[in-house]
Amino acid sequence: MTTPHALCVRCPPRGPQPPSGGRAKADMTHNIPMPAQAPAKSSTLQTRELTLGYGERTIVDRLTVQIPEARITAIVGPNGCGKSTLLAGMARILSPRAGTVLLDGRDIAGMPTREVARKLALLPQDATAPDGLTVEELIQFGRQPYRGLMRQWSPQDAAIVRAALRATQLEPLAERPLDSLSGGQRQRAWIAMTVAQDTPLLLLDEPTSALDLGHQIEVLELIRELSRQGKTIIMVIHDLASACRYADHIIAMRDGEIIAEGDPAGVVTEELVEKLYGVRCTLLREPGTGAPLIVNPVSIRHDTD
Amino acid sequence: MSATAPASANDAPRGYWCLRPAGLTLLVHRRGAWAGLLLTAMILAIATGSLSSGTIPLAETVAALAGIGDPVTLFMLHELRVPRLVAGLLSGAALGVGGCLLQTLARNRLATPGIIGIDDGATAFAVASIVAIPTSLAPPMLALMGAATAAALAFGLGGGGSRGYRFIVVGIAIGALFGAITNFMLARTDIDAANLAYPWTVGSLNARSATTVATLAACLAVCLPIAKMLGRDLQLLRFSDAIAIGLGTRLRRTRIAILIVTVFVTATAVAVAGPVGLVSLAAPEIARHLTGHRGVPVINSALAGAMLMIAADWVGRTAFAPVEIPVGVITAVVGGPYLLWILLREPRPGGG
Repeated sequence: MTTPHALCVRCPPRGPQPPSGGRAKADMTHNIPMPAQAPAKSSTLQTRELTLGYGERTIVDRLTVQIPEARITAIVGPNGCGKSTLLAGMARILSPRAGTVLLDGRDIAGMPTREVARKLALLPQDATAPDGLTVEELIQFGRQPYRGLMRQWSPQDAAIVRAALRATQLEPLAERPLDSLSGGQRQRAWIAMTVAQDTPLLLLDEPTSALDLGHQIEVLELIRELSRQGKTIIMVIHDLASACRYADHIIAMRDGEIIAEGDPAGVVTEELVEKLYGVRCTLLREPGTGAPLIVNPVSIRHDTD
Repeated sequence: MSATAPASANDAPRGYWCLRPAGLTLLVHRRGAWAGLLLTAMILAIATGSLSSGTIPLAETVAALAGIGDPVTLFMLHELRVPRLVAGLLSGAALGVGGCLLQTLARNRLATPGIIGIDDGATAFAVASIVAIPTSLAPPMLALMGAATAAALAFGLGGGGSRGYRFIVVGIAIGALFGAITNFMLARTDIDAANLAYPWTVGSLNARSATTVATLAACLAVCLPIAKMLGRDLQLLRFSDAIAIGLGTRLRRTRIAILIVTVFVTATAVAVAGPVGLVSLAAPEIARHLTGHRGVPVINSALAGAMLMIAADWVGRTAFAPVEIPVGVITAVVGGPYLLWILLREPRPGGG
């Protein structure tokens, strides 16, 4: 056995737990050994000529994309470009008009939804829970795809729920109702639910929207942690700078089409920013990470879309 | 109470018992189980009181139930009171379950069969069979057709139930429509037929036909286990659609299954007791109040509904004796304020 994964729900608890509670955990990645090994299980996700829409409108048109395994993929683009729609399509929330989503090479539409739920977890935007639900109860729902009528609970379920609590540093808040938490804590609780789902794929729709800077970093660090444990992560994110800083792979969309795809440092250029957002800017490299930084933005968009 | 409490390897979630009969692993919500026991005890107490009220002493009642006693007492119990009690228990349970299911489906506590118009649909069809279009079909059959029509209209026009608010508004309109049709038919018909149809419009447990009650019993025997089995998916319906699907729920199938079960239990209950709509609104509230807001209390809603129904019937039969007040009137008079009290006193979600 190698060093236990910090966030891996199958690994035994590590030694002394770091003090938790506050949000001063931005550096938690630095003191955790990162074994660069393959995850215990993995799944592939790709779309083929995927067409999605609501009502009369086609939003995503014949889109083919392959999601890199065990990496963070960020889908970026202006409002209404179809990025959330694409995510909903890949998570089988929205049925395709045409084309397919392939999970491990199989058409997701033809798979039992419970089986999909064991491979792919989704955190939608503005997730709301029933009144009064506690953090621990929410996380227990993550075990739903594994529970049956005859086998409603198992020691493994209990262990995984505890591991998810530990991984997201929510142990002290386990019994608190979700609606009594701060925005960042609540988002961590939702992510903990998807961690308990124990899936190789995790899809997040704007996980940091409506969070202040501190909470944004907290959630993004957690996502990076999960990716280092081998999860394939796909997130829709508004903030291009965060996307560049945390993602390994960028998918830039506009009007339902992919206009650029690849490594953030290579893909994000001044031309791309102008194409995506109608903003002329200067790009600088962030010291340390080399992620592109946008400065001196000027709107050049006169037409409305 | 702290999260650092040592936990054994196979501990059940907080607040649950983990039972392992014959290789199964079942979770039992502790507070829910206690609430069920409490409700059962209250049902027994009210049933005993109701059976022995007035002229028959308690000891004689018990003896008569065992078949010992004078013919008058035996007749009164076996022919009048026991069937009536059974009708009340079953119809109350059915209305309670129907309310609980529909509230969960629409994610709204207002969405009960009485409000969505399923009661009204059942009543309208049943009244039509008595006063307007004589048929050879039994009232439960017609009530079922009416309930199914109303439910299908509300579900179809109300956006498939995914938007609770729209479902309710459409349901209220459909209920009003069927209510108006019922009143129109009653106004146009002669007094004898109207009298015959009267119990259908207010709700009464007096002299219900045995076949109707048997139909209800059969329906409950099938629907209660189904409702309980749907429980796992029902819990997920309390989240948004995307989360429920993400956790592996077949959303559309679950919704339609719930709607069908609701239509069956509501229609057969209305065929027995008439539109006692408040039971389906109040019973799940009582169940949730006792169990503390967690989960979807299918069985406890049934118990609470049964209790409410027989309590209301007992009061209606004895309070102004010899004048009998229909059970629907009593549930409205007693249940209304109680429901208001529950809704208004609730300070914070999760505080119960």
